[in-house]
Amino acid sequence: MLETLGNLGLGFSVALSPPILFYAFVGCVVGTLVGVLPGVGPLAGISLLLPATFGLDATRAIVMLAGIYYGAMYGGSTTSILMRIPGEAASVMTCIDGYAMARKGRGGAALAIAAVGSYIAGTVSVVGLMLLAPPLAAFALRFGPPEYLALLLLGLFVLAYMSSGSMLKSLAMASFGLLLGMVGIDQMSGYFRFAYGVVELGDGLGVVPVAVGLFGVAEILATAGQATPPQVVKLRLRELLPSRQEWRESAAPIGRGTVLGFLIGILPGSAHIIASFVSYAVEKRLSGHPERFGQGAVAGVAGPESANNSATSGAMVPMLALGVPSGPIPAVMLAAMMVHGVSPGPLLIQQQPALFWGFIASMYVGNVVLLILNLPLVGLFVNILRVPYPYLYPAILVFSILGVYAVNGSVVDVWIMLVMGVLGWVLRKLDFETAPVVLGVVLAPMIELSLRQSLAMSDGHYGIFLQRPIAAVLLGVGLLLVVLNLYSFVRRGLDWRARLALAEKGEESR
Amino acid sequence: MRARRLVAVAFALAVPLVAGAQEPYPSRPITVVAPFPPGGVADLTARPVAAAMEKVLKNPVAVVNKTGAAGAVGMQFVAASKPDGYTLLLALSSISIIPEADKIFDRQPAFTVDQFAPIALISADPTILVVRAESPWKTAKDFIDDARKRSGQISYSSSGIYGTLHMAMEIFANAAGIKLWHVPYGGGGPAAQALLGGHVDALASGPAVVLPHIKGGKLRALAGWGDKRVAALPEVPTFKELGYPDVVTTGIYGLWFPAKTPQGRANRVHDEIRKAVATPDMKAKLDDLGLVGVASTPADFAKFIEHDIALQTRIIKRAGIQKQ
Repeated sequence: MLETLGNLGLGFSVALSPPILFYAFVGCVVGTLVGVLPGVGPLAGISLLLPATFGLDATRAIVMLAGIYYGAMYGGSTTSILMRIPGEAASVMTCIDGYAMARKGRGGAALAIAAVGSYIAGTVSVVGLMLLAPPLAAFALRFGPPEYLALLLLGLFVLAYMSSGSMLKSLAMASFGLLLGMVGIDQMSGYFRFAYGVVELGDGLGVVPVAVGLFGVAEILATAGQATPPQVVKLRLRELLPSRQEWRESAAPIGRGTVLGFLIGILPGSAHIIASFVSYAVEKRLSGHPERFGQGAVAGVAGPESANNSATSGAMVPMLALGVPSGPIPAVMLAAMMVHGVSPGPLLIQQQPALFWGFIASMYVGNVVLLILNLPLVGLFVNILRVPYPYLYPAILVFSILGVYAVNGSVVDVWIMLVMGVLGWVLRKLDFETAPVVLGVVLAPMIELSLRQSLAMSDGHYGIFLQRPIAAVLLGVGLLLVVLNLYSFVRRGLDWRARLALAEKGEESR
Repeated sequence: MRARRLVAVAFALAVPLVAGAQEPYPSRPITVVAPFPPGGVADLTARPVAAAMEKVLKNPVAVVNKTGAAGAVGMQFVAASKPDGYTLLLALSSISIIPEADKIFDRQPAFTVDQFAPIALISADPTILVVRAESPWKTAKDFIDDARKRSGQISYSSSGIYGTLHMAMEIFANAAGIKLWHVPYGGGGPAAQALLGGHVDALASGPAVVLPHIKGGKLRALAGWGDKRVAALPEVPTFKELGYPDVVTTGIYGLWFPAKTPQGRANRVHDEIRKAVATPDMKAKLDDLGLVGVASTPADFAKFIEHDIALQTRIIKRAGIQKQ
């Protein structure tokens, strides 16, 4: 412990030196911007800025790139809450309740809670990263394809909680998302599926264009289709801050989101996206008032926003402790280290203490910077809502197209976004929810790959999922959840979903 | 009025044509297309090359990442671009493997190798065979003997089907007369993670990814696919030394023009690149990546690729990798 404190002292001496502080600040600002702009996510931001870091030394480069990564998680909530347009894919869940809060005039409160939740999650998870990186990384290695598949299936079971309306409809949407996720190269055989001669479809449908289309473009179309333009929200300064009640309701979700996000972040894949989905589902399950979700529940903002932020620290665990990336973003950061002659790996912490501890300390500093940066910006961003829709929405559409195009420089992505936008609009008219579609698109390729890798490992025997303890436990938990659900479904007959549906009917007939 | 406008348009169209015929090369920015995302080895090779070319050609050279479909998107883009010497491609071995795989699957290839003209091989990535340190195999011979006894039971991970790492392993298995068990992953990093986590038994890998783990005592290197031993691992023999003269393959990083690019321009670029790769600055950058600078002549590169395609095709066609 004493040693850790000594090391942290070294880290802060590095992190607080003016040049490092400067680059951390630049990273955080760029990250916030990347997060705010719809379409451009942290991966695009880091990739675009990577060449600019080639002239810097390793510590500065890595501190700046990390700043972009977690900064984007702060910024991502802004447009989700204010306009129901996800700034990046991990903020899809925030669109639902965040936007509902904004419609009720609590947009400022939602933004403030997202920022504070992100700050707490960011700081606490760095403590986790600092103290637990080596043992956790060793645990993460034990997660092979069978364990990963079991975890993903658990994620799918959780899907049932995501909707606020009909379970049948949300499962239908999830299946639709899973089907969309099948587009692209079959990783086991190299075969193109459903690509119809469009080479760009070989990578599948990207999460970013699908999410921005289904949420953002669909929202713009829906607004344009209303007979009376929506009221421009009037805000008073007092209403910018969360009430005591809202703070109380957010405390536990922030805590749970932090732990959940960090643990999921360690595992390979698009962790920050999945973490936000799982957190939302958990909060809804644990809530005493699940019917409030979708109508502006503060926990539906606090949980996912904390989870996606702490997932970024979790993703650094295998990268720093083992030198293996857990997803595309840590992979780019690893490459940045290698460019500077720092060989990442299990010896990094001993061989490059200044880099490792400087990096850790810079994350503490960066989170403070982001909080200071984001809280005053709440007042500024909320003013966006005063812009009349005829001016605001075309501008947003332009930014969405630019952002989606910028990620891969691909016009195909822009078309995917536009098609998804029209589809999302139709689905909304038919009262289908689109969040499960996004989750399906995220999960399908991972589920498929891990299932087939597992079967390749066992030579086609499904027993491999029961022989491996972690996988068996995870599958057992999933099964238990399903059984519990069925039980309460049978016993209570009418659960809150049915009550909600009845209430809605009542409102309509009035 | 209309006639005058037509004349004007005709002039406007003709001017660049005339200029194009006379302009010295290069007179506009050159684009190097890297078909993989920023930060990958292809990108990290392309950037110093572009920077060096910029200096010697005294002309801007930009790296553009056209990513997707395991490189096919960027490669198809260059294949279809104008052969005027302003668009270059930095490709890996997959440039020859993907079309061969397409042939086996009877599908329309996104591009073929003859749509490109080779300029130079920039560097080679010596692949090495690694296993976990606690595994019973101390030498390549132990590994081969055991694989003979337990045919098809020793598993290995790779960066993906038909990737360099997959092909290297199959070339070795073919020569040694053993059958191994392939579990593809989505990249070199995840493949190494699978080996470290004990989910597979072996891996063919570029040295950059596994060197730290070999030094850290977690992994053991048994042999290398290179022509020479890897500088950082002088005690690890090559397969060639072990009596497998054909088991030589490296990840190749080469520069290509679209086919039909004027020969003069290709030669010009090649001459400058040769000078550039020889500079100490470039060598240091490649060393950091664990790569070996090569800078062959266009003719050598073409011959090398021809040999490589023949070898890869033989391996792909070998039973076991066909339509899984």
